[in-house]
Amino acid sequence: MSLQPNSITNPDLSETKNAKTAKPRSLWMDSLFHLLKSKTSLIGFCIIFILIVTAIFAPLIATHSPTEQSILNQYQTPSSEHWLGTDALGRDIFSRIIYGTRISIQIGVIAVGISMIIGVLLGSVAGYFGKWADQIIMRFVDILLAFPSILLAIALVAVLGPSLRNAMIAVGIIGIPQFARIIRSAVLSVKETEYIEAARAIGAKHGRTLMQHVLPNCIAPIIVQATLSVGTAILDAAGLSFLGLGAQPPTPEWGAMLSDGRAALQNAPWVITFPGLAIFFVVIGFNLFGDGLRDALDPKLKK
Amino acid sequence: MKKRHYMVLFTLFFAVVLFMAACTDDAGTGSTGDSQSENASGDQGSDEAEAQNGKKTLVFGRGNDSLQLDPSKVTDGESIYVTNQIFDPLVRYKTDSTEVKPALATEWNVSDDGLVWTFTLRDDVTFHDGTDFTAEDVVYNFERWTSSGDFSYYAYMFGSTDEDMGGIIENVKATGDYEVKFTLSEPNAPFLQTLAMPPFGIASPEAIEKHGEDFFKNPVGTGPFVFEEWIPDDKITLSKNEDYFGDMANIDEVIFRTIPDNGARFLELQAGSIDLMKGLNPQDIQTAENDENLQVIRRPSMNVSYMAFNTSKKGPMSKKLVRQAINLAIDKEELMSLYDGIGKPAKNPLPPSLWGYNDNIEDYGYDVEEAKKLLAEAGYADGFNINLHTFANPRPYMPQPKITAQAIQEMLKDVNINVEVVVNDWDTHTSGEDTSYDMKFLGWTGDNGDPDNFLYVLLDKDNANASAGNVAMYKSDEVHDLLKAAQTEMDQEERIEYYMEAQKIIHEDAPWFPIAHTTPPIAASKNVKNYVPHPTGTEPFNLLDLEK
Repeated sequence: MSLQPNSITNPDLSETKNAKTAKPRSLWMDSLFHLLKSKTSLIGFCIIFILIVTAIFAPLIATHSPTEQSILNQYQTPSSEHWLGTDALGRDIFSRIIYGTRISIQIGVIAVGISMIIGVLLGSVAGYFGKWADQIIMRFVDILLAFPSILLAIALVAVLGPSLRNAMIAVGIIGIPQFARIIRSAVLSVKETEYIEAARAIGAKHGRTLMQHVLPNCIAPIIVQATLSVGTAILDAAGLSFLGLGAQPPTPEWGAMLSDGRAALQNAPWVITFPGLAIFFVVIGFNLFGDGLRDALDPKLKK
Repeated sequence: MKKRHYMVLFTLFFAVVLFMAACTDDAGTGSTGDSQSENASGDQGSDEAEAQNGKKTLVFGRGNDSLQLDPSKVTDGESIYVTNQIFDPLVRYKTDSTEVKPALATEWNVSDDGLVWTFTLRDDVTFHDGTDFTAEDVVYNFERWTSSGDFSYYAYMFGSTDEDMGGIIENVKATGDYEVKFTLSEPNAPFLQTLAMPPFGIASPEAIEKHGEDFFKNPVGTGPFVFEEWIPDDKITLSKNEDYFGDMANIDEVIFRTIPDNGARFLELQAGSIDLMKGLNPQDIQTAENDENLQVIRRPSMNVSYMAFNTSKKGPMSKKLVRQAINLAIDKEELMSLYDGIGKPAKNPLPPSLWGYNDNIEDYGYDVEEAKKLLAEAGYADGFNINLHTFANPRPYMPQPKITAQAIQEMLKDVNINVEVVVNDWDTHTSGEDTSYDMKFLGWTGDNGDPDNFLYVLLDKDNANASAGNVAMYKSDEVHDLLKAAQTEMDQEERIEYYMEAQKIIHEDAPWFPIAHTTPPIAASKNVKNYVPHPTGTEPFNLLDLEK
């Protein structure tokens, strides 16, 4: 990509701007441009944007309190009073889904945060130092990978005790291997570059080299993996809650709502349909956006 | 060139690894797929086999697997449902009531002082393993039940303690090949009723000796069905006892299948892969009634569901005022919506269908202001945090345990009580290992149609333990004296007086929040004939027939 579009739209500024910033557009601007050009990632971005706005303004959007019950109004069909109907306890499903966004975002951010921090730490140490550090860390990661992830999460929650916090920890732990592997491979390629050699040559210590020079150059795969992981983390946490191992009642968590509404599947399908759709859209949103990010940040895929 | 070699080798290696991974993956999913289709075809297979050689197989769907197939050691209904087919007690209940009729014993009489019971036994009975049934076998079984504290029902019903394992039964003697004599230390009014309970089914001593600890996996009795196979959490298969001394079974085989989810079980019934199911979701009753292939049968009500307060735990639950306040703070009428027409609000531990029910007691009613007043009086005006242990899968007396717990959680917020809902699986819930509960959901289906079976088992200090008996740990000497007096009194009018009084004290002390009495719905295919659900919650299937 050249600077041409810019200079055409701003002809009068082009001269001074060109004089000041005669270098090519930064990686970030370039990537953003790519990102917004792809329709699918734009859809993903919109879904995530709506999710975040909903979470922030949940009390304003919701029509009822998410935990307020009125058993006499149980299993009401969607109506103008209850937009998405009510569940077994007469709680407003629309409001519960709206408040559920907060929990989903919380799960996504915290669980992925845990996997990212630990995964990046392990992966970069393994990749940078190699040898026995690499062996030990990567074999540990292999052990984690050997378990089917949801099974490992169930085992972890069984040990820690069922609660939303522990579910987030469990989902965070099962996400570590992916991060560790991706970061390790990125570090492996970056550490062979000449600027790293240069940094070492002028006497930079390992810690400084790793933090200041190696990791910043591995940031792209980290961001992509983090975005993609948020969707999976929300899905896994919903799975745990569905099994009664995550969010405890009366938390309006989507997976728990599915679990509660399952008994009424034949008579009141709306009780599980809407939380199911909510999970579906959020997960697909993060996946589309993550895919778009990957394409945008990968120089090889650019024209 | 050499480098390239490596590349080729590596690629080949990688390809092989991928191929193998793909294979194992395939094999993995393939095999599960196979086993599923095997299961399905297995069921169909039995259907087909049935069509071919006229074999009648009843597939019974239920929510939980049996814990043990040794009825003397368990208290859960799911175990007893199965063992009731395999074992016969000395006497059995009539098909539709809790009156007793002869089974292994043909006649009986009791001495005037009510202490000596003599039973005449059948002389034509053999156990499933071929050994003959004699009076010695009865003695053997009773001796076994008094040999350790593992036999919970014996302890509940006959009041045995660690010092006195026999409880009220002083001795059991074989006075002839087919005559057995029980000597009691005190008269016991419900004695005959109690002997008819499925937990007191007579097992083959030879099989007990042979299998030892594993007897519960290899039950051998005299009942209408013979144990064939048990695949845990999947199914239990029984076949017809061709030598049964009573009414020979009409069907050749019974398969008890465990399908935890009520909705899924109902779908299987609609699809025809099971014939009969317990635990119909109340919401599905209408659907089942409208289905031309299905019928809904209601079990006569003889149960109670309740929320027990852990009165032995330090803190708010040990205070009577708090327990009364919680009784006031929950809107029971509203909870009934969660029972969808199968439940009636309970005010006593006894179901109203039982004699001795005290209808003069007035329930606490729903009064938040009064509840707040009581809490303030108890020193808890600012509220407190407690937990409520519930269970995941529905039970006949409580169709929606999780949702009901949430409803109560929300209601108690109004009086500043913060409830943490803990959802246990059924094993954990009833094992009694976890004594940290403040409040606990549980229920009881009567075993023998005697009030003693509710009040003594569930609320006497003799049975205060965290597993299934008196989980409220309610220890009232007054109630204990009344219940003991009622046990030893043979005159029913007198007994009613005692039970009336006991219910009054229990109401005042409020060790429970009684929730409901239900008429549990059972859904069956229209092919199922002559099925009469018994009020005690289990019935032998020998009279049932299948028309296909």
